[in-house]
Amino acid sequence: MLSKYVLRCVILLLLGSAYVCLAQDRMPQLKFSDRKLDNGLRVLSVADSSSPTVAIQMWYHVGSKDDPPNRSGFAHLFEHIMFKSTKNMKSEMMDRLTEDVGGFNNASTGDDVTIYFEVVPSNYLETLIWAEADRLSGLNIDDANFRSERDVVKEEFRQSVLAPPYGKFAYYMRQKSFTVHPYKRPTIGSIEDLDAASLKDVQDFHSTYYRPDNATLVVVGDFDQKQLDAWVDKYFGPIAKPTTPLPRVNVQEPARKAEQRLTERGANDLPAVGITYLTPKQADADQDALRIADVILSGGESSRLYHSLVYERQLAAEVNSSDETREEVSLFVITAVLSEGKKPEDVERSLLAEIKKLQDAQVSPSELEKAKNQIITDQLLERETSNGKALALGEAAVLLGDPSRVNTDLARLQAVTAADIQRVMKKYFNDNSKLVLYYLPEAKTGKLEHSKVNSKEGK
Amino acid sequence: MSSRLHILLLSVVLLTVNAFALKAQTPQATPPPPANPRTISFPKPADQTLPNGLRVVVVERHESPLVSAQLMIKNGGEVDPTDLAGLADMTANLITKGTQSRGATQIAEEIESLGGTLESGARWDSSYATVSVMSSKIGKALEILADVIRRPTFKPDEVERLRQQNLDNLTLALSEPGSIARFVAARVVFGDSPYGHPIGGTPESLTKITPSDIARLHSRYYRPDNAILVIGGDISAKQAQDLAVRYFGDWQKPSDPLIESTATKQSGASSDGRVVVIDKPDAGQAVVYLARTGIDRKDQDYFRGIVANSVLNGYSGRLNQEIRIKRGLSYGAGSALDARRDVGPFVASAQTKNESGAQVADLLLGELGRLSSSPPVDVELAPRKAVLIGNFSRNLETANGLVSQIASLALYGLSLDEINRYINNVQSIVPADVQQFAGSRLDVKTSNIIIVGNAKAFLPELQKHFSKIDVIPVSQLDLNSASLRKGQAK
Repeated sequence: MLSKYVLRCVILLLLGSAYVCLAQDRMPQLKFSDRKLDNGLRVLSVADSSSPTVAIQMWYHVGSKDDPPNRSGFAHLFEHIMFKSTKNMKSEMMDRLTEDVGGFNNASTGDDVTIYFEVVPSNYLETLIWAEADRLSGLNIDDANFRSERDVVKEEFRQSVLAPPYGKFAYYMRQKSFTVHPYKRPTIGSIEDLDAASLKDVQDFHSTYYRPDNATLVVVGDFDQKQLDAWVDKYFGPIAKPTTPLPRVNVQEPARKAEQRLTERGANDLPAVGITYLTPKQADADQDALRIADVILSGGESSRLYHSLVYERQLAAEVNSSDETREEVSLFVITAVLSEGKKPEDVERSLLAEIKKLQDAQVSPSELEKAKNQIITDQLLERETSNGKALALGEAAVLLGDPSRVNTDLARLQAVTAADIQRVMKKYFNDNSKLVLYYLPEAKTGKLEHSKVNSKEGK
Repeated sequence: MSSRLHILLLSVVLLTVNAFALKAQTPQATPPPPANPRTISFPKPADQTLPNGLRVVVVERHESPLVSAQLMIKNGGEVDPTDLAGLADMTANLITKGTQSRGATQIAEEIESLGGTLESGARWDSSYATVSVMSSKIGKALEILADVIRRPTFKPDEVERLRQQNLDNLTLALSEPGSIARFVAARVVFGDSPYGHPIGGTPESLTKITPSDIARLHSRYYRPDNAILVIGGDISAKQAQDLAVRYFGDWQKPSDPLIESTATKQSGASSDGRVVVIDKPDAGQAVVYLARTGIDRKDQDYFRGIVANSVLNGYSGRLNQEIRIKRGLSYGAGSALDARRDVGPFVASAQTKNESGAQVADLLLGELGRLSSSPPVDVELAPRKAVLIGNFSRNLETANGLVSQIASLALYGLSLDEINRYINNVQSIVPADVQQFAGSRLDVKTSNIIIVGNAKAFLPELQKHFSKIDVIPVSQLDLNSASLRKGQAK
């Protein structure tokens, strides 16, 4: 077996209190191979024959932050076009190559990366390596594919942003949280920008970012290392490395200096309150403590926000927090959907009171351990599957810049102390660095003025 | 984030098969063919029975420091009393909501402190509670698991809370043609016999269930000699067995004899070619079901059956090929063969516009018939078998999936080693097996059709094909008995 524990702990069965071995003793290590082809393609792989399946992922280091100005939504539009026809494949053939052999595939676009992934029985690995190479080098970006997928994305915009009661709440919160960084542009884009796009724009975007030296192939599962290397050489090797430069976003989001308050309106029945703070980039050392703070605030029914606002005081129907890490600057988001008849001001005050508690006093050892247990168990569950292992490895390599962090991150997390949590809460959560958004129902207060964004989009 | 539309017409045969056609082409132009599938080999699970009758099965797997444990009761929805449908389901859901020493909140808090999860529920033939935790936490997790299984209190306020939730969910389900069709299909196939009622209950039965009904079902079936504990993951067989003894060893077996759960082969199932229409004038679409008896889990034709079903089911299966891809009549069509302790159902279904209800019914029957009149050839069968093998293998990637598979084999008294034979068993099925299964076990003439939708739109067409159609207005629908009509229950 390739995954081994650094140190196995012994459970003493004779004592009821013996289940004390700390999880840090037992983290499985991923033994990965890391190679780079001459054309710049990075290939990370973990051979693990415990199940006759294999996960294949292509990580393209391009996300919505790379969308051209006034062309928001391009990275995501591309994710769609990559499932259309290529020189050698008909449209949607990737679906047939996976679903019809007992596997699955999908893709996702974020602010920083676009990921394509397949899981198939291991005897189909060569087929999928061929297919991923084929759609990197031979994608048909013609007017028909461009137009049909643009329509699909516009439909997705309507379904995911306009139609759901809190769709625009999430959309505004991220858009308003950054002032100059392209993270302010929504991944899904806007109807206007999508309509303004031309076929030439799309072709340019593809040739700029879809290239072997901007991609990482991750393969985890049941395969022979030499055979995998040979297949990768055979199918990816001939793809040329473009000579054009690979542009990178080079914009610094300035620190916030004053509180911002906004009110937006939507088709929701119950008001919602959102509060955001800027936090450092994903690879920053403070992110470990922030991640634990997030779980202490909202991980499960015994978490602080749930217990206080939902269970005890019934101010909110739902409450959540999320440490949304990004490659360059991250966002800590706290949201609450109000209970019937409650005031946003009261909910905001209660949310801020919970933040203040974390700044004023250190969390108890048992509360700290609970949060660590929750995070570690979630990670272990995610990494049980080949696909989950590949996601963790790809994230470490592409977003953290070091694949070996896949093996050290949980130990870093274990090392976080109560004092660390108090320190980061004081450092990043200040009254003059917060953005507060009230998202109120339209029907009840229809005459009040809408914000610029809202009136621009209409209803 | 991606929601791509699947609109394309591609035949499986074309795609997966040209992989087999080893013509000399440029290596880049066609997908390289698959290698031979690899088989799997799991270590033999440790299997012992404690003096109180509890069977304890342990399957080791040390890749990841996680353990999953499932305590399974060998009865579920099939033991609901006739007028108390949903009783087993409510019982299983309530065990985690309070015990003699812990309240609902405390149970949640303690499990979250371990970083773990605790889930419970009832299915056909079994009820279960499962914990998943890091291996270092399994002792405490098993203590909580034993507590909720052995000492639940079924407090009236928790019973009321769950009843209300279930009623809300049921109200929603009964407004949707899809769930109405599913409920009606079960009544048409199984009548008043144990698999006939909705497993979650009916609005009438849920209102009748009392805390003492729940306690009675619990004391009758939640007993060690009617239970199986399956522990899987990063734990040694010895450790797991010692923990099982510590937390379940003193679980007393009641003195009254256990009613053995064996297949009766008398399911009361009827497959006599009925056509039932539930008229729901406000339905936006019609839901069409073909429903009939299938097989039980120990049937020697089990593998023939699941492969035959796979030929029909899935995006590239025959039903979707004919109904969606060739004719655009539905977003998706599929089928399921549910093998249980007794003979379970086979269903094929599709949702379509009201006007196409009769045509889709014809297509479902036609495709079922074609399984024997025009059985799949090898090149069609290969990818359909690959789908089964792929799904099976992926399920076994996790400790939870492994435990569920082993638990299911143990429940039906099958050899636990079947897990290692599954791939070969599927691979060995040939076209003649599918043909034989379809011809002998899925006869079209004894299959029933159920359509829920705006009858006006499809009834005239349906009447051209079937002489006897039972039309029931949705307002008259009664799921409490086989008659399906209000005021006609016996």
